[in-house]
Amino acid sequence: MSGASGRGYDWSYLKRGARQAASMPGVVMFFSFLGFGALLRSEGVPLVYGIAQDVAIWALPGQVVLLDAVSRGLPLLLGALAVTLTAVRLLPMVVLVLARSRLAGQARWPEYLAAHYIAATVWVMAEMHFDSLPRAGRLPWVIGLGTALVSAMTLATALGFMLTGIMAGPLAATLVFFTPAFFLLALIDGARMRMDWLAMALGAVLGPLVHVYWPSLDLLAAGLVGGGAAFLLGRNGGGRAAS
Amino acid sequence: MSVSSPSLWLVVLAGVLVTYVWRLAGVLLVSRIDPDGPALRLVRAVVTALVAALVARMLLFPSGLLAGTPLPARLGAVLFGVAVWRFSGRMLEMAVAAGASMFLALQMLLP
Repeated sequence: MSGASGRGYDWSYLKRGARQAASMPGVVMFFSFLGFGALLRSEGVPLVYGIAQDVAIWALPGQVVLLDAVSRGLPLLLGALAVTLTAVRLLPMVVLVLARSRLAGQARWPEYLAAHYIAATVWVMAEMHFDSLPRAGRLPWVIGLGTALVSAMTLATALGFMLTGIMAGPLAATLVFFTPAFFLLALIDGARMRMDWLAMALGAVLGPLVHVYWPSLDLLAAGLVGGGAAFLLGRNGGGRAAS
Repeated sequence: MSVSSPSLWLVVLAGVLVTYVWRLAGVLLVSRIDPDGPALRLVRAVVTALVAALVARMLLFPSGLLAGTPLPARLGAVLFGVAVWRFSGRMLEMAVAAGASMFLALQMLLP
């Protein structure tokens, strides 16, 4: 653990976090939100609702599920249930990012704010950069990064909404393809110990298997069962633990 | 559009609440967890498996724009990206770009 926990957060890292949004992960995310904007248009939902989802929900799979529920006219309760199932995954991601960035004994409001920004991309980026950031600067960095990403993605949503239909099919599909390609390579690049490799392999095998039978539970089941098994099997795997 | 605007705002609000509640639970939980203990390692394994499952789902059972692309193009491009990462000395950005370029090329070449 680095940094001084006696003093508070170092807010000068807010700007550095914001600048980090202009990076490969930010570009990949931009492509995904272009796709979200295009989806809004094709479902006949006004742009303003999509922008509101970007700012206030900030979790793309949930946003897509919500859009799907709206366009199929599902009852509110069923739609909310489907969205909340996709959001359970955010809990462990928030725990992981905050465990390496929060300062004990400090005010907790920055944690509540940072938590709103945390989803898969910010978790991956935190894994990439936390080692080079002092402890007191990490939470401000997440908040700066999140604020910049949300701003950029509302722009991407609007752009995608307006550009739909102009782009050729293979090119548009390639933009979407950046997301799985980036997540897979970021996982591989960030793997440090045997447990990581086991978790990756088990998740990739269990996910599709569960998906065939219970499509809405595939991620949770693969995460809990695959991750749990990887944790038990990989306990003596060596490598350094996340600090 | 079949839904009236007030009810659409209600749907968005519901989506906001049922999403943030899990993040809130994370904030409340993290102060009770030992950051160097086994619990956090378990959480890390769960997230890793979950994101891997998400990738596998997007590649094997895609929705939206990817649904219309050939499976061999998706898998071939991802394998190419991993190979580039491995043999370029772990250059992440280059590997992602190479995988995406290969995907574009394979879409044109494959039926």
